[in-house]
Amino acid sequence: MRTQKISFIVSAFAAILLLALISSARVGPAYAIVNCKIVPVSGPPVANGVIIIRDGLIESLGTQDKVVIPEDAEVIKADGLHAYPGLIDAHTNFFIEPPKEEPGQRATAAVAAQPEEKNWAQDASLMAFDLLKPKKTVVDSLHMVGITTILVAAEKGIYAGQSVLLNVNGEKAEAMVIKNPVALHINFTTERGRYPSSLMGTMAFLRQSFLDTSHYSTHKSLFSSSSRGLKRPEYDPYLEALYPFAVEKRPVFFNCANLEDIKRASRLIKEFKLNSFLTGANEAWRVADLVKELNVPLLVSLDFKPPFTSIYVNQGEEMKKKAEEEIYPANAAHLHDQKVRFALTSLGLNKPSDMVKNIQKAIKAGLPREEALKAMTIVPAQLLGVGDILGSLEPGKIANIILTSGEIFDEKTKVERVFVDGISFKVKQPPKKAQPTTLDLTGKWKAAISGPMGELEVNLDIQQEVNAISGKISSDMGQWDITDGVLSGKELSFTISATIMDETIELTFNGTAEQDSIEGTISFEGGSAELKATRIPERSS
Amino acid sequence: MTRKTLTFFTVVVFCFSFGLSLDKSPNVIAIKGAKIIPVVGEDIEQGTILIKDGKIEDIGQNVSIPQDAEVYDAQGLIAYPGMIDSYCYLGLQEISAVSATVDSRETGQFNPQVKAVEALWPDSMHIPITMSNGITTAVVVCTGGLISGQVGMIRLAGWTPEEMVIRNSVAMHIQFPSVPRIRRRESQPQEQTSKQIEELKELLNEVRYYQKRKQAAQKNSNLPLPGFDEKLEFLIPVVNGKLPVLISVYADKDIRAAIQFVKDEKLKAIFFGVTDGWKVAEEIKKSGIPVVFGSLYAMPSEWDNGYDAIYRNPGVLAKAGVKFSFSSQSASLAKDLPYHAAKAAAFGLDKKEALKGVTIYPAQIFGVDDSLGSLEKGKAANIVLADGDILELSTNIKRVFIDGKEMDLSNRYTQLLEKYKKR
Amino acid sequence: MNRKIISLIVCLNLAVFSGISSGQDLLIKNGTVLTVTQGTILNGDVLILNGIIEKIGKDLKAPEGIKIVDAAGKYVMPGIIDSHTHIALSGTNETGDAITPEVNMRDVLHAESPSIYTALSGGVTMVHTMHGSGNPIGGENIVLKMKWGKTSEEMIVPQAYRTLKFALGENPKRASSFTIGTPRYPQSRMGVNAIIRREFLKAKNYMEQWDRYLKAKKSKKAAKNIVPPRKDLQMEQLADMIRGKMVARCHSYRADETLEFIKLSKEFGFKIACFEHVSEAFKITKELVEEGVGISIFLDSWAYKVEASEGIAYNAAYCTKKGVLVSINSDSGERIRRLFNDAAKSMKYGGLSADEALKLITINPAIQLGVEKIAGSLEVGKHGDVAIFNEHPLSAYTACQMTVVEGEIYFDRAQYLKEREEMEKKKKEEEKKKGEKK
Repeated sequence: MRTQKISFIVSAFAAILLLALISSARVGPAYAIVNCKIVPVSGPPVANGVIIIRDGLIESLGTQDKVVIPEDAEVIKADGLHAYPGLIDAHTNFFIEPPKEEPGQRATAAVAAQPEEKNWAQDASLMAFDLLKPKKTVVDSLHMVGITTILVAAEKGIYAGQSVLLNVNGEKAEAMVIKNPVALHINFTTERGRYPSSLMGTMAFLRQSFLDTSHYSTHKSLFSSSSRGLKRPEYDPYLEALYPFAVEKRPVFFNCANLEDIKRASRLIKEFKLNSFLTGANEAWRVADLVKELNVPLLVSLDFKPPFTSIYVNQGEEMKKKAEEEIYPANAAHLHDQKVRFALTSLGLNKPSDMVKNIQKAIKAGLPREEALKAMTIVPAQLLGVGDILGSLEPGKIANIILTSGEIFDEKTKVERVFVDGISFKVKQPPKKAQPTTLDLTGKWKAAISGPMGELEVNLDIQQEVNAISGKISSDMGQWDITDGVLSGKELSFTISATIMDETIELTFNGTAEQDSIEGTISFEGGSAELKATRIPERSS
Repeated sequence: MTRKTLTFFTVVVFCFSFGLSLDKSPNVIAIKGAKIIPVVGEDIEQGTILIKDGKIEDIGQNVSIPQDAEVYDAQGLIAYPGMIDSYCYLGLQEISAVSATVDSRETGQFNPQVKAVEALWPDSMHIPITMSNGITTAVVVCTGGLISGQVGMIRLAGWTPEEMVIRNSVAMHIQFPSVPRIRRRESQPQEQTSKQIEELKELLNEVRYYQKRKQAAQKNSNLPLPGFDEKLEFLIPVVNGKLPVLISVYADKDIRAAIQFVKDEKLKAIFFGVTDGWKVAEEIKKSGIPVVFGSLYAMPSEWDNGYDAIYRNPGVLAKAGVKFSFSSQSASLAKDLPYHAAKAAAFGLDKKEALKGVTIYPAQIFGVDDSLGSLEKGKAANIVLADGDILELSTNIKRVFIDGKEMDLSNRYTQLLEKYKKR
Repeated sequence: MNRKIISLIVCLNLAVFSGISSGQDLLIKNGTVLTVTQGTILNGDVLILNGIIEKIGKDLKAPEGIKIVDAAGKYVMPGIIDSHTHIALSGTNETGDAITPEVNMRDVLHAESPSIYTALSGGVTMVHTMHGSGNPIGGENIVLKMKWGKTSEEMIVPQAYRTLKFALGENPKRASSFTIGTPRYPQSRMGVNAIIRREFLKAKNYMEQWDRYLKAKKSKKAAKNIVPPRKDLQMEQLADMIRGKMVARCHSYRADETLEFIKLSKEFGFKIACFEHVSEAFKITKELVEEGVGISIFLDSWAYKVEASEGIAYNAAYCTKKGVLVSINSDSGERIRRLFNDAAKSMKYGGLSADEALKLITINPAIQLGVEKIAGSLEVGKHGDVAIFNEHPLSAYTACQMTVVEGEIYFDRAQYLKEREEMEKKKKEEEKKKGEKK
């Protein structure tokens, strides 16, 4: 009897899943967005505009009297809405699940203090694409702030591997890729317990690895042009991975956490004639002359936390606060004044919603709104070499479009709808502010989920921190994460990311909680089920 | 390391044992012609100090010198009382990085039973070096845990610990619970601190009850005698206010808490460290608790304090009327005691007060001002003859008397120097 | 707090927008001028134009509009130079390897470190900031001027020697003791010596490989596909040592290891600029004088470890009198602000004169760093790096009042006190207001 129930549920979930897969794979439909204010970025705004989307691309756009609405198009009334190109976040670590550290690695690293073999360039070949684990919650949070395109790089390591440019059009990595690889990412960081253990060591290490790559390349090209009498170069996978960047001058991104990092990058760029981008760079304004002289693309982070090296950090709390609230937000404005071209990114911020808050701060600090918009649309598109297909609303470009309730980056403006690759997405609205609660749900819970297909027994392990709820849900079908939970007074909501047959689907719970009981509805695309849970008393030991 | 250490010690023990008085010091000595700075009272130009039986028999401009007196001509020199280091590790630490030579720290949280003077190594090379810079008395300190143990007072002369010890125990050293600077912003450590203070208070309450039961049992043999408890036993003089607590405390917040603690527990207290004292000078003054400053060779804990916070701290507290003294907080650089005082003088402390901070004030704070800390009739003849201001860096100490005996000023510095001069 | 923010922002803006500073004009008047190398001038003036000392003397006429500092009753001395420290750096030791000449302190300058301000508050205008002593062969060091608020580039002193850090004895021996597993080679003084020799032998071989390659390439008979040797940054540095383009600064405590290193320098023909710490230098003054090698030492910090347990306070004065070039260093972000106190102790321990004592922290370190033509004394033509004290700098009662680098005032105690007073006043008023509200 029980087995039967389970199989019911499994097949129900599987069916939903299948539907989702089909929808993302089919040919994109045609849409006509009518009666919106179009802000194409590449040209002047158009009032009462129409945008025609077909099969993922912008077919045409213009004023209502000039654009004919195709018969097969689904008409979307956008009265009072603004249409912008989807925002591009040119440096993020979203969707990345870092490779697990092999046990004992650190210990052996310490032993290898006298390095026989340096496995230094190992991560230069690391592809961010291989680490992608797209999650619906992240997709939603990006759409919520209007981001439709992201550059994703792994976070850690001196060589942090190679990044990928994605259109946030769902949860299937392959379907999302615009460009792969984009660039080699370099962090001014150190190794733990082995060389290079210091920043100066990292600099020497980077220099030596570029030198070695160039030597390797010389040897190889000499060998290929005239191999007689010459010992063949030993194949070196590490140097092979660096070759496109050190020799063929494919782009290298230097992550610059402070102004000295910018100087360090500039030295390497000059010494090895690299084709480079500076990212992070939240102290770029302090070395504006150098940045101008370097004339390399700048991907400026909206993270306003002053770096720990900053003169503002070591002079008391008051100064530090002022730096974060007033001084660092002016970075972009200063750069604009100095006529430095830059894109804005969310690197270093915890969540996309912080990005919008910080753009508002940057605008308040003097960055013109239209420049902020360009810095998140056409500028990154051009810098990343995709200016022909992204970054503005023009016929023939990819249909990455956001519809907003008002002028973009306004405090009250909400993103109402998002098109990515011409696929329409409803936008989740940001959660309401949680009310204080007297409950503490932390602990183990037993629950039953009953729906039209039958009943499923599950166990919940809930963690509560103030209003935030997280945890795990486990059943015969596996163990899944509880995320994005909020307990507001007695109102409880959370999301379950369930992985079934290697695919992830999102279930949302809404209900009420008491100290020892929870009741409510789990909803998913295509159905819903009731959840009732009771606390498993802790054994007093 | 052990073997190296042993070899090292052999060398030290066999080659360099000083810190001793010259053998044939006469019984009656007259130091004549020096400018005398008694610290208490007016300076005396061209004065005479008469020493008899290790004590100052007479002092002044018109002192009659007995026939049997050995007369030292001290023309051009200045006579000072021997200086007192209020907090040091002399005899307890030889080479700080070699744990085998470090005996100033016991393991565990509560060690009221240990006494610093019981680990005293009379042959420490640091003692003669310190003494030959005019320091004749030192408070030797144990550290670690919450209750570190008993600190004692020594003279920098003598062959055995017994000959050196002035007081076995002048205070019980308590490390006042505090939040480490780097963790101050977290909420947890603050709670932990209050918890530790509560623990201390509970312990002292236990001591009181233990004492009560003991006394009761002694009066009335029908009552059970409480079992011996080492920790409680050695804290009895503390709760009775007979033995002061030396409380190491630094930040303003902690100083306030420590003042309250002392008040609540009705203890006799001395503070040590008090680097943020200038922020709470009035409160310290009101509490009546004297302060021993640690080494001034330190940086302010926060930028907002100003770069000179450590340097000006003594001046600010002195101005508020707090009784204070200086310390070296060292063994290998205990000789630098006068320069800590001078540094405070460079940043606002009156020069005469600075001198008192290494002489009469520490004597008062540790309750030995009846015999030490100034050049006065009847006090111990701890006398330093210098060719200049005793707090000055370039001043040379010419002669040192401890308890009326002239000291041999040769030390490991001079001995090694002489050895290699021969090369 | 506000004053700090304001002055800081002003100074940072200057740093950003003024580019490389070319020095400023300043006239210091009526001070007791301790030139260190050319005697003392009572009621003397020092005129600095464009950062360079233009004139020293009495009653100098002030050019129009020039900033004047009244030093009446005060002592004017050359800016103090710290020959050995680790301030203003992001990282000190590359612990990942025992041999790291390829690392360079220039790459990790931390120009915003408050330690620069601390140095200024003790009259220090120039420092040699170094790789740590964890490795037998450490990294390349750098000489900086303490231009607080300026960029790292503006602080670098290009005239100074290029120096490479070496370390002997306990530190390199125990450098790996905290890591897990097999201890790092070397673990003994013989190992330290052997590993340094090994690296220089490697470097000589490396140089020859390159010589042969270049020669072969020039030759008409050379094969077309001849492959150049691998460029090795470690070897390049050591080759520069052998070529005399860089000099050694060697951390050593014991006399014997110091002598061994001198032997190594002779074996490979590199130059030693200076030994660091050398507690036992007084035992080998003969050899140090013969080799013309200076020492950079603590005045009396000692006995913190076994190899430092014979570091007597007479070391500086005794070696000076024997003809060794001695400087007193801080090796610490705290001691750096009282180097003048340490110098004064050399008068007591060994009887140096006041001028000789001052040389230990001015001209002597300047010579050791190769900057004696621009710094280390008050002489016409040298940089206007000046420290002003209220009492004689060798008095225990002195406090640094002003520190000037290239004619620009970077530390001003009077100004500091004024601002502090204003701040305290403001704070009190605020507290009052708060009290009234309640």
